[in-house]
Amino acid sequence: MPFRVRRFAFATLATTAAALTTTVSALAGNGGFLPGEAHSPNAHRVHSAFVFVSIFTGIILLGVEAALVLIIVKYRRGKRARTADGPQIHGSSKLETIWTVVPVLILAAIGTFIFYELPGIADAPKAAAADRTEISISGRQFYWQFTYPNGAISINTLVAPADQVVNEHISAPTWDVIHSWWVPDFGGKYDAIPGKVNTTWFKAPAGTYAAQCYELCGIQHTAMAAGVHVVPRAEYDRFIAQRRNDSLALGQEEWQGVCQSCHRLDHSYIGPALGGNPLLADRRGIEQLLRNGGAQMPPVGRDWTSEQIDALISYTKRFAKQAGNG
Amino acid sequence: MAVNVEAVQPYRADWRRGRVTAWLTTVDHKRIGLLYIWTALVFFAIGGFLALLIRSQLATPGEHFLTKNSYNQVVTMHGTTMIFLVIVPILAGFGNYLVPLMIGARDMAFPRLNALSYWFYFLGGVVLMLSFFAKNGPARGGWTMYTPLSTLHMVGNGPDLWILGLHILTISSLAGAINFVVTIHNMRTPGMSWMRIPLFCWAIVTYAWLLIIVLPTLSAGLTLMLLDRQAGTHFFDPAHGGSPILYQHVFWFFGHPEVYIMILPAMGMISEILPVFSRKPIFGYKAVAISTAGIAFYSLLVWAHHMFAVGMPLYLDSFFMISSMIIAIPTGVKIFNWLATIWRGNISFDTPMLWALGFIAVFTFGGVSGIFLAAFPIDWAVTDTYFVVAHLHYVLFGGSMFGIFGGLYYWWPKMFGRVLDETLGKWHFWLTFVGFNVTFFPQHMLGMLGMPRRVYTYHHGGLWEAYNIVSTVGSYVMTLGMLVFLVNIIKTSRTGERAGNDPWLADTLEWYTTSPPPAWNFDTVPYVSSARPLRDLRRRISESRGS
Repeated sequence: MPFRVRRFAFATLATTAAALTTTVSALAGNGGFLPGEAHSPNAHRVHSAFVFVSIFTGIILLGVEAALVLIIVKYRRGKRARTADGPQIHGSSKLETIWTVVPVLILAAIGTFIFYELPGIADAPKAAAADRTEISISGRQFYWQFTYPNGAISINTLVAPADQVVNEHISAPTWDVIHSWWVPDFGGKYDAIPGKVNTTWFKAPAGTYAAQCYELCGIQHTAMAAGVHVVPRAEYDRFIAQRRNDSLALGQEEWQGVCQSCHRLDHSYIGPALGGNPLLADRRGIEQLLRNGGAQMPPVGRDWTSEQIDALISYTKRFAKQAGNG
Repeated sequence: MAVNVEAVQPYRADWRRGRVTAWLTTVDHKRIGLLYIWTALVFFAIGGFLALLIRSQLATPGEHFLTKNSYNQVVTMHGTTMIFLVIVPILAGFGNYLVPLMIGARDMAFPRLNALSYWFYFLGGVVLMLSFFAKNGPARGGWTMYTPLSTLHMVGNGPDLWILGLHILTISSLAGAINFVVTIHNMRTPGMSWMRIPLFCWAIVTYAWLLIIVLPTLSAGLTLMLLDRQAGTHFFDPAHGGSPILYQHVFWFFGHPEVYIMILPAMGMISEILPVFSRKPIFGYKAVAISTAGIAFYSLLVWAHHMFAVGMPLYLDSFFMISSMIIAIPTGVKIFNWLATIWRGNISFDTPMLWALGFIAVFTFGGVSGIFLAAFPIDWAVTDTYFVVAHLHYVLFGGSMFGIFGGLYYWWPKMFGRVLDETLGKWHFWLTFVGFNVTFFPQHMLGMLGMPRRVYTYHHGGLWEAYNIVSTVGSYVMTLGMLVFLVNIIKTSRTGERAGNDPWLADTLEWYTTSPPPAWNFDTVPYVSSARPLRDLRRRISESRGS
């Protein structure tokens, strides 16, 4: 049946060509063929590990799929009788040995390469204390809180110095749930686990990067996105110094990152509409709510400093008398 | 030995012989098997519908259709349904129907326990489905229900019903597993040594042993979760010295072997189908059988590869990486032996064979993406993204479900006496095969672009939107395939071609009896002298005819 073979071969070729074209065009912009775009040395090493594994497993994958297609084409029944037996071969110890040992060797190579890359992924480069920044990242329902070495706090926007090692200490408060912190462009992710601190690092050029929560953490898991602004060291220093005194900016971040995960001003969302709610100007009332939570609301500010609560009030009091316009 | 049918009829009461009551009171392994399969297919339709809801919501960005708690509930129930109410029980159904026939036995070792297993499965399924009507809806923590989200942050009784449902299903599976083990160990027909039982029975006995080993762990974890929720204990509550990670260890000690519980019997089916449609014996019977046991053993040592991101010590990460990679070796042995089985064969492309070949094509891909997840520095990047969603569907849908569909087309004539329509069957396969790849292949890329699992929308344009809409279109194509299957079932039940005892010229004992088989399975106790008794029989017949 030459016609069927030709048709089959044509279909296979067309599919392969289409797949290759898509792959190449997508690769041109890294359309999801490598995890993230590497902007940190550990991410570069994850990429090289990924490529290494891709090459070896790719050979096996292509080999198996090609063998499958070839066997299907070559040994199809065609005009033979349905009952005609193939050769009654029951096995071959030699072949069994080969296809046990060869994968062992390939996996050993992959494992070795992983261990070779591991130190550069897991361990932060040695750097003098002055060139190193320690930032605490706390995942909460449903926002990210960043605490800087001078005690400054930001919500959902992490500001970090460029081209320096930044150690991320990732955790969650004991009354919260498990979250997971990943900046796809910066290497690996770590879970933010209540009562446990995980540490990872990055060293990235200036730029803006996206981060998100990767562990289902409740009703607004989807909304737990954050931005990472990597800026020159001087700008970073200026930011954390200013942030300690600029309560309005912090208040706005808290309103947008914490309250607005579930509330809108003019209509009820997950929680009730807040426009015109006198609580927004009631320092004691709002502290009570933030620290203890409400009927459905988690205690989003149980460990907030009084400055954080003041900051929130300084921003939200403008909404207390105004209904709508959210 | 002539068997007096009247004498072995266990029940005399006439009310038990009604059209409905006969099924409700049956202890016949074949009827119980069919009950399992039909019930699981109904749950498959429900789970598939939930999947369509998910894909419809994610087709385009926005909050227009299914969001927040509803979305989380649908995701949770889709996973729970497909795993606990579809794949595991439908495999139990196949096992029930086929194991006694394949080993030449009259029934399972404990027929009434067998009926109890089915009814507990049915009850567990009903409890899980009714949890949709609980106040605040069903469980919504993903099928893994990680603590403390599921213990301290999930109001309503939906999660308690989820726990109850899983407890009931656990009892069902345990009883069923014990039954399989006792049956296969003790009730093989004369001559059927361990190296002559069909490879599907090897898979089922391994499936059963794994269930017996790991289900108690799940029960323990669920009980602790229930106590934390309802009795004020603090096993998983970090504020009172509990450990949320403890739950993950307990859950995955069950959860990873569960993956092999779902794939091994499907692999067993493939090992039955490939030789028959290639007209060759399975290549390397011993290697395939031993690799089944090898996979099962190593599956008990790999659980924490689901937990690389929790921040374990590096030596533990390394241990679990190496043990996970080792599993690739017996899995590879199976794939190579399957290829060698069809090599130089006389390959017929009947529908069961298409599913079996599709299984090899797709499962290999799922196995390869598993290597990336086993290598923990890469896992740190891709875990909890759509890469994992893609991987798990390549092994559980492309693997288990493809195997199950192959099994349905292959054994349907034995079960119902009629062959499923081949044309519709091929449409079913090709729509599913294409739809499956279109749905799940782009999800690898979505994951690497950074799309998390279990989110109800996304705010990135460009490729995120493109891959998501492609994935959704694929899921509709697959749905079309499933509708064709439904039409095929209905059409075949009325006008299907009569099968006869052995429509595929197969090798194993279930084809020795009529289709469908009588209640007592075999008129005489079969004696076997090789792993392919029916082939021996055909040869003896042709020799005695002097041809």
